[in-house]
Amino acid sequence: MKELLPLLLPLGWRNLWRNPRRTLITLVVVAVGTWSVLIFAALFNALTTGSRDTTLRFLTGHGQLHAAGYLDDPSVSHSMAPPDAALRRALLAPAIAAWTERVRVPAVVQSEYRTRSATLVGVAPQSERALSDLPKEVIEGRYLSGVSDPGVVMGRDLAVRLKTRIGKRVILMAQAADGHLAEVGLTIVGLYAAGKPAEDEFVFTGLDTARSMLGLGARSSEISFAVRDEAALTAVVAELRRAAPTLDVEPWMELAPLVYTIETFGRYYTAVWLLIMFILMAIGLVNTQLMAVFERQREFGLLQALGMRPRHIVLQVVLESALLVGTGVLAGAVLAVAALAPFRRGLDLGFLAPGAEIMGESRILHPALTAVEGLAYGAIIWLLAVAAALWPALSAAQARPAAAMSR
Amino acid sequence: MTAIIECEAVERTYAQGSLTVPALRGIDLAIGRGDFATLAGPSGSGKTTLLSVIGGLDRPTGGEILIDGSPIGAMDSAQLAALRLHKIGFVFQSYSLIPVLSALENVEFILRLLGLPRAERLARARAMLHEVGLSGLEDRRPARLSGGQQQRVAVARALAPRPAIVLADEPTANLDSGNAGELIKLMERLNAASGITFLIATHDTRVIAHARRHIEMTDGRITLDERVSGPAAA
Repeated sequence: MKELLPLLLPLGWRNLWRNPRRTLITLVVVAVGTWSVLIFAALFNALTTGSRDTTLRFLTGHGQLHAAGYLDDPSVSHSMAPPDAALRRALLAPAIAAWTERVRVPAVVQSEYRTRSATLVGVAPQSERALSDLPKEVIEGRYLSGVSDPGVVMGRDLAVRLKTRIGKRVILMAQAADGHLAEVGLTIVGLYAAGKPAEDEFVFTGLDTARSMLGLGARSSEISFAVRDEAALTAVVAELRRAAPTLDVEPWMELAPLVYTIETFGRYYTAVWLLIMFILMAIGLVNTQLMAVFERQREFGLLQALGMRPRHIVLQVVLESALLVGTGVLAGAVLAVAALAPFRRGLDLGFLAPGAEIMGESRILHPALTAVEGLAYGAIIWLLAVAAALWPALSAAQARPAAAMSR
Repeated sequence: MTAIIECEAVERTYAQGSLTVPALRGIDLAIGRGDFATLAGPSGSGKTTLLSVIGGLDRPTGGEILIDGSPIGAMDSAQLAALRLHKIGFVFQSYSLIPVLSALENVEFILRLLGLPRAERLARARAMLHEVGLSGLEDRRPARLSGGQQQRVAVARALAPRPAIVLADEPTANLDSGNAGELIKLMERLNAASGITFLIATHDTRVIAHARRHIEMTDGRITLDERVSGPAAA
């Protein structure tokens, strides 16, 4: 059959342009359909991953290590020793992009007017920057400068509730490692914006400042890490579990199950919508192909009369559809890439910020498709169109030549 | 003369609603190899239907047809297509060229289906177009050829694979007398030169005048079958 391709391909291409208006309309429909599928997929990807990344890029990372029992009782009594040589080697593996130690304990923060419960997080600002977007979310003042920074960075909303502001001192109280109630007065150096629940919950200070306050020595509450390629996360978690068998090593799906559920739901939702769009396109294409084949019954009869086998007729009709839709898909893909290009740095939803915040979305969406996704969606449309052409193709091939030529 | 086309009690009926319309009523016919025969009769007499069932474009509802000794009744669509490709050339009343192909490509098309190498295809297609007097017009598409020229391309295409049989259905019906005369002479010459069997359904008395065998049909039956000159050499 392939020896006939050099004959059928140019013949198919020329046949397409026998009715330029219909071909152009079909091309536009396929191109716009492909464009909308790709843009829709990119936006939904952005919404889904944006919501997820808001959480992961705040504190969670792709996974965390804790002392056994910490996740049930995140107190200072479930701290862990600094990573030993084996764990350090595992954390420095190429698959891990960044990692950091933190102290994270329940605390009380008190201003001159009010007292609120909060979570005190001691961070290493340098390594934190590779894992968390929080340093970029400081909207007033500054982020912490080092592990010994004695300043406090708190959420904008918490500052409002405490009726305090940058430059004021607050008292932080938490249970120390030896069981007594530790308290320390620290100055607010920065306020961050990250959505109300997070703004109300977390108060940050330098890692060593927190350790010193709580009498933890070199111990910490958690190690958070990010992987270079999320496909490798399972393997990375397994390796870390081997390297630190006494610690809890959990991927983000376990640490933030609601986020994982929302992301999974989002992906299924996107898939269902795309399926509906694909089916609608296929129905339109079957209709167009049936019309085109019906108009050319006489010609297909002639081709059979000349000795072309029925399967070659099928091949010709399918090839014409493949050429037509392939061109449309290519045009749609180019248009989609062009449409997405201006948003490479993100689509600022500042005007929708309150709504986005409620939805747990980042203010900046990053609509993007990987080459694999783009090719896969294009291929699905193309294959659907080819499959849609089979029906009219078979009907063309099954007609008796005499009957077809008399039409 | 050995028979290359044999029809044995061939019947073809069409269903039109609850009615059954007989188009062929028990045709018995044998056409010898190398014959130049015409098939005449009024419209609706069954000429085109008979050509269609002989060429495997339609299936008889009764009887059997043998082409070169092989019964075609049990052949499937692909086998019939192969039979047509290798043994039967068609010339239709309306020129039936592929509109998006040039004259040369139309002739070459059928040679491609045969799987001939490119050089041989082109040489044979050019030679056939030369034979039918269309040298210099190879690159023209059908829309830029006159009716007579298109019908010559159709003849060239039918003859290019060197078939054993050419079935022509009213080949001169759309031609003026000049072109019709030239086409008749061309077919006669090719018949004489290559021994190809011609069976031509026609009303045209000029074509009938050149036939060596003349068959007439009425209401799906053969009513006259006469040899008007000596048989051609096999």
